[in-house]
Amino acid sequence: MTPSAPATPAVTTAPPNGTTADGSRRVRARDPRKVARRRQLGACGVLMAPFFILLVTVFLIPVGTAVWLSFFSEDQPGLGFGPERTVFVGLRSYAAVLNDPTFLSGLGTVVLYCVIYIPVMVLGALALALLLDSGVVRLRSWAQLGLFLPHAVPGIIAALIWLYLYTPGISPVIEVLGKADITVDFLGVHTVLPSIVNIALWSNLGYNMVIFYAALQAVPREVVEAAVVDGAGPVRAAVQVKTPLVRPSIVMVAMFTFIWSLQLFTEPMLLSQSSPMISSRFSPSMYIYDAAFTRNNYSLAAAAAVVLLICTIALSYGVTRWTSRVNSAEEATR
Amino acid sequence: MPGRQSRRSVLAAIAALPLTGTLGACSGSGSGGSGGTSTTTRITFWSAIRGSQEVVDAFNRTHDRVQVDFQQIPSGGQGGYAKLSNAARAGNAPDVATIEYPEVPGFAIDGVASDITSLISDRLRARLLPQSLGLTTFQDRTFSVPLDIEPMVLHYRADLFDRYGLTVPRTWEEFEQTARAVRRKAPDRRLALFPTDGAMNFAAYAWQAGAQWFDTRSGAWNVSLADRPTRHVAAYWQRLIDDDLVFMNPGDSRQFDAQVGNGLILARLTGAWDAGAQMNERPGQRGLWRIAPLPQWDPDRPAVGTHGGSTFAVTKDSRHPEAAMEFIEWQVSHADALRARLSSGASSAYPTVPDLVAVGRDAFDRSYYSDQDIYTLFEEQAHAVRDGWVWGPRMTATSRVMQDGFARASGGEGTIIDSVRDAQAGTMPDLRALGLSTSEHST
Repeated sequence: MTPSAPATPAVTTAPPNGTTADGSRRVRARDPRKVARRRQLGACGVLMAPFFILLVTVFLIPVGTAVWLSFFSEDQPGLGFGPERTVFVGLRSYAAVLNDPTFLSGLGTVVLYCVIYIPVMVLGALALALLLDSGVVRLRSWAQLGLFLPHAVPGIIAALIWLYLYTPGISPVIEVLGKADITVDFLGVHTVLPSIVNIALWSNLGYNMVIFYAALQAVPREVVEAAVVDGAGPVRAAVQVKTPLVRPSIVMVAMFTFIWSLQLFTEPMLLSQSSPMISSRFSPSMYIYDAAFTRNNYSLAAAAAVVLLICTIALSYGVTRWTSRVNSAEEATR
Repeated sequence: MPGRQSRRSVLAAIAALPLTGTLGACSGSGSGGSGGTSTTTRITFWSAIRGSQEVVDAFNRTHDRVQVDFQQIPSGGQGGYAKLSNAARAGNAPDVATIEYPEVPGFAIDGVASDITSLISDRLRARLLPQSLGLTTFQDRTFSVPLDIEPMVLHYRADLFDRYGLTVPRTWEEFEQTARAVRRKAPDRRLALFPTDGAMNFAAYAWQAGAQWFDTRSGAWNVSLADRPTRHVAAYWQRLIDDDLVFMNPGDSRQFDAQVGNGLILARLTGAWDAGAQMNERPGQRGLWRIAPLPQWDPDRPAVGTHGGSTFAVTKDSRHPEAAMEFIEWQVSHADALRARLSSGASSAYPTVPDLVAVGRDAFDRSYYSDQDIYTLFEEQAHAVRDGWVWGPRMTATSRVMQDGFARASGGEGTIIDSVRDAQAGTMPDLRALGLSTSEHST
């Protein structure tokens, strides 16, 4: 989207230059439209170059390397002792990844994580944004700052803070609850996933709330006023008038949260230091890390990374298609 | 000497040393060296074992032709193995690396540990305990030289055994009865721990019972983690856990330190090395502990497995394999090497070269174990180590998956044998992706 934006002004400014040129210039430049076209292309090139340079160096080359790695392996057949040769192994690493129960259970974990996290995140952020927008909250800017601040804390620091709050023996939270005769194990078999969801919520709720709040600012006041005049209370105006109008941002937030969730890594990696309930292959990203650095199996790690990438792209594409179809269907009914 | 013994010293070393990384190592691996004297060969050596610096210093003092540059690295699980793998990938692994037994096949397959069969002198070969050399030899090719062999033994609290009128169990059946007696007589104490991070402990139990998790017959890795002896051992420990006769928590934890420190645990089932580690870590318990052979399934045919132990490999990047081998041979077989190692603190690691046992015995302060001659016990047990055990090609990963299962089992989800089966299921794709021939049994 970004690269096409700078091109638009070039289209509108180029024709006047061509038409105001006098006769002599007209002679030199054999075809003014061609000149304009060339300039336009030059501007496009300059403005889009940074994007493409970054796209190639930080995305396409690594992805290409991963794909290449996933098809090759250093092999020595039989027991594997002796000198190794790099050979093409086709889809062998992919077959291994897709037949690995630990990888599939990692995918399952992430799907469960998404099912818990995304609805809570989107609804929570939206509710907070609507509250702020409705003017119920006093000290609005302070509330916004307070909610946004956790997002400025790097993920690893956030995980450390929560690790401290979750670990029995040092956590003040567990101590206070313990005094009230409530024993909680935040890092138990069934509680560890909600605990990770909680960290992610804490970090990202404020950020997404700001996005929703900005979208709500763009909602025409007349529409809301009309709804109020028609007898809608504040709750009804929020749910039935404002929310549908910010649906594009809801879709965007859900999509970004989803992509981010599939790559779940920092929080479980750090919590695994303290909780044996988080296995070394807890999420697909942790599986990839483990495959590369514990198992020293780079083609397996690369294959798992490509599988995760394909899953992410396919699911994102599916969600986008689905939402745009719903949109157009709704517009058709209007 | 596995990670746990040297954990503290290693952590201290990490804190004290800046992470010099591989730069220091690769700059040292060149030949020639000091002052242009072309007769001196410089080699590099990485280890996490405590006392290695002292050994290297002693070697450098007494040798002119070969000089060793030592680098203390984190223990394997703490990143030492990842460091070694990455260095080998970058082509600057040290000449000599320290690898624990279970990881030897993995590093041999990856080509990090080179085939040193022809470099090992017949003299050294004859002096090494055959069971230990068997663990580092595949298809008649040897990939590393063992330093110590650690038969699993029973460390027990003699004072508490006396107080509760218990006798030292000779069989696993007696062990179970003893565990029941402990729980009956002292409800807050337990006889032992089933460590959730103890895949290596469980492997030793299975090894003793006659299991064969991996074998390399007919040129393939035949994997059978859940074979009949293992199922038997798993069912045994499951019963102890279900009847609440043993603790089940991580062994490398403050919780376990407290359990041992407060006398809540009456026995530890670990390798011979743990006698020295216990001495260093809990000087206050002097005179309370004794050591006995591991309980047996069949006392008429005693067998044990090992728990811990290290080996030295010459890596593929070594430009002076003969010099590296000379250093390794001195390190594992010379009395001065062991004396130097022991100068850094007590150790009960049992040497694979029997001539060194006397050195270890003389240096060991017996009073902690009330004058018990633990070295004689270790000697008997070392000879009882069941021959033919083979570690797998990706043992760190296999153990981790198993331990993930143990941890879940301690939280009430799944059982020990489930964890073992999960470990096999999580290992096979790895081996296939490495291009190895495999076959699966006893799933």
